[in-house]
Amino acid sequence: MKKSNLILYGTILILGLVAPFIFPGFKLQISFLWILIVLAMTWDVQGGQMGYNTFGNILFFGVGMYLCASVQIGMFFPLAEWTEAGGEKTFVHTAPQYFQGIVFGLLLAGIIPAIIAGLIGYGILGLRGHYFAICTLGLGIAAGEIAGGIELIGAGQGMTTPPWPKNIGGTELRSQFFYYICFGLVIFTFLFLQWAYKTRFGLVLNAIRDNEDKAEAMGIYTMRYKIIGWMVSAFFVGIAGGLMGNMVGYIEPVEVAFAGPTFGVFMVLMAILGGKGTLWGPVIGATVFHLFKEGFWTFFLGWQYVALGVLIVVIVVFFPEGIMGWLREKYPEKFGEVVDEADRKAQVELK
Amino acid sequence: MKIKNIIITFISAIALVLSSASISLAKVVGDKIILGAAVSLTGKYSTNGEHTKNGYNFAVERINSMGGVKVGGKTYKFDIIYYDDESNSGRAAQLAERLIKQDGVQYMLGPYSSGLTKAIAPVTEENKIPMVEANGASRSLFTKGYKYLFAVLSAANQYLEVAIDLAVEKNGGNPVKIAMAFEQDAFSQDVRIGVVEAAKRTGSKIIIDDKLPKELNDMAATLAKVKATKPDVLVVSGHSKGALTAIRQIAEMKVDVKMLAMTHCDASKLAKQHGKNSEYALCAAQWHKSLSYKDEFFGDGMQYDKEFKAQFGYAPPYQAAESSAALLVWKDAFERANSLDKDKVRDALSKTEMQTFYGNIKFSPAGQNIAKPMVLFQVRCEGDKCENKVVAPTKWAAAKLVHPIPKWSER
Repeated sequence: MKKSNLILYGTILILGLVAPFIFPGFKLQISFLWILIVLAMTWDVQGGQMGYNTFGNILFFGVGMYLCASVQIGMFFPLAEWTEAGGEKTFVHTAPQYFQGIVFGLLLAGIIPAIIAGLIGYGILGLRGHYFAICTLGLGIAAGEIAGGIELIGAGQGMTTPPWPKNIGGTELRSQFFYYICFGLVIFTFLFLQWAYKTRFGLVLNAIRDNEDKAEAMGIYTMRYKIIGWMVSAFFVGIAGGLMGNMVGYIEPVEVAFAGPTFGVFMVLMAILGGKGTLWGPVIGATVFHLFKEGFWTFFLGWQYVALGVLIVVIVVFFPEGIMGWLREKYPEKFGEVVDEADRKAQVELK
Repeated sequence: MKIKNIIITFISAIALVLSSASISLAKVVGDKIILGAAVSLTGKYSTNGEHTKNGYNFAVERINSMGGVKVGGKTYKFDIIYYDDESNSGRAAQLAERLIKQDGVQYMLGPYSSGLTKAIAPVTEENKIPMVEANGASRSLFTKGYKYLFAVLSAANQYLEVAIDLAVEKNGGNPVKIAMAFEQDAFSQDVRIGVVEAAKRTGSKIIIDDKLPKELNDMAATLAKVKATKPDVLVVSGHSKGALTAIRQIAEMKVDVKMLAMTHCDASKLAKQHGKNSEYALCAAQWHKSLSYKDEFFGDGMQYDKEFKAQFGYAPPYQAAESSAALLVWKDAFERANSLDKDKVRDALSKTEMQTFYGNIKFSPAGQNIAKPMVLFQVRCEGDKCENKVVAPTKWAAAKLVHPIPKWSER
């Protein structure tokens, strides 16, 4: 690893690890930032690297959220009685139960959405372009309406996740606990994608984006890669969902779980803002987005979405390729791209 | 690698911004007691969020101008930090945490709607921050053993129970056929539970039980069924949007039903927006200006109505009135506790027993107001001017219930 890389990763790691102690009041917000980064990076697997604009990743977010909470509760208590009003008063998780529940819950919140992604992907990843986008848009909306009708998980009433066990430290410990899991998840996701993009898998995804027919003609079984790509996204998004549910403490089918208009759109925006198709783009995009959003909320009360809208317009007009794309155009040599001055001039003259 | 440097600079800039955003413990600043509130200024509850905010502000101004809050021989004034929760429960929970952890708020006011209150309550409870809320009526809020939640309003399942009883009474004590449609949200589903219980109690039969989607814009399918099956009572609940949609489509499709019971008629300004089309709709409300409760700050309901109208340019719906009442409860609790300590104030809150212009307030151990009944009113028109008239309970009834509703062909 290069020295400058080492410094960069070291700085981020240390900052991430000590952040809860330097900014104790911002723990939850930084945890949300990690979740947003995971959402943006995994969206970029399809939207950026593979060229398939999906609006359906929110489906896995919600499924993960409900699964994790249901497992946490269902492992020890009858789920139906819990979701009936008053459940959390009657049934109290002991500390070991709580942690066992969350470990299994998060695992399943990753695995099951991945399987669902495989099954759905097999059915719809044959669609391309707008057709795929519209189809996935429907998935998220349908899931929200269906979840709102299932009594076992609280239907339209929503369900609460298990409260933090009483005798092991207060809310500070709780937010630290979730902070570090979120931080762990974002690091794991980043390293995994960094590795995956370097392998043949990453190259195939790019080939699909650039020319799927040609890739197929060269003998690549593109369908298999598309499905695996979506399963990878679903796995991480599902875990992020499970964590989100626990941090918010209350799962509502349309607003928290299958939150298409908020998180579903945010993940696309963040990736595009940062520069899709790059490793760092979604990370930077999510960070900028989150900071601006939180800032707007404080200073433009009631107008925050207008301000956000203006920001998006500015980005699209002035940085159509996102922040990373803009940097790449400005400093191509920093990205390891060799610019042949003579050739560039010749091209300009040709025009 | 300059690009890495840029990223490092970027990260350190963020760190600087965060650390410079000072974390002030703002529970009391100077002579101000700071209350925190996340209300819906945008999104589907923005109308009611606005009523909530106006109600809070109206009471804050009134209390401050009439001498403020006297604690320990010192006079304090109220101030509220607002955030916009965008009618989104995830956002609301996040903002509650932000108010408590970053802004140091120790006393909370509730948001608008049961769903958002449900999202915020676990946060305030975990942080042991007392919250007086005025707009979360869902019954499930009061069955979870929350110790720091106090609601000045009656629970959601009481909203339309009375209407069913009334229908049975008008039917000569015989069971009625009920058609109902409820939005998929915490509040409306609780209203539904109340109706189901009332139906069971009276032996009435539920012949249509539809769930309506959130963002309710169309309920033609339900109304078509109502036209075909001719129930005695049609019950609809889906916040303001649900009330408006229901009236619009009932008028369009000319659906004849003997009794139409709804929620949120005054919040949606039904009588004004739909005029004669909304006539005879029966509505459940937490409050009406003609009730005879009194307090020293707002006088009675009529006076509140007049002064609110003068300041905000519209008649106060009950959402505004109950929000104002929440502030009166806070003031009373602070003065009785004679302390700014949140736990002492919490204990004082639990012993609240007072009358406000909005109604009597006394909390059950679960934090529910058990001293105030619901009222039912009916939209009545004289010429082109339509108004809400209280029809039940009989103590305050200003008009007689019109039952059954005249057919569309005869109107």
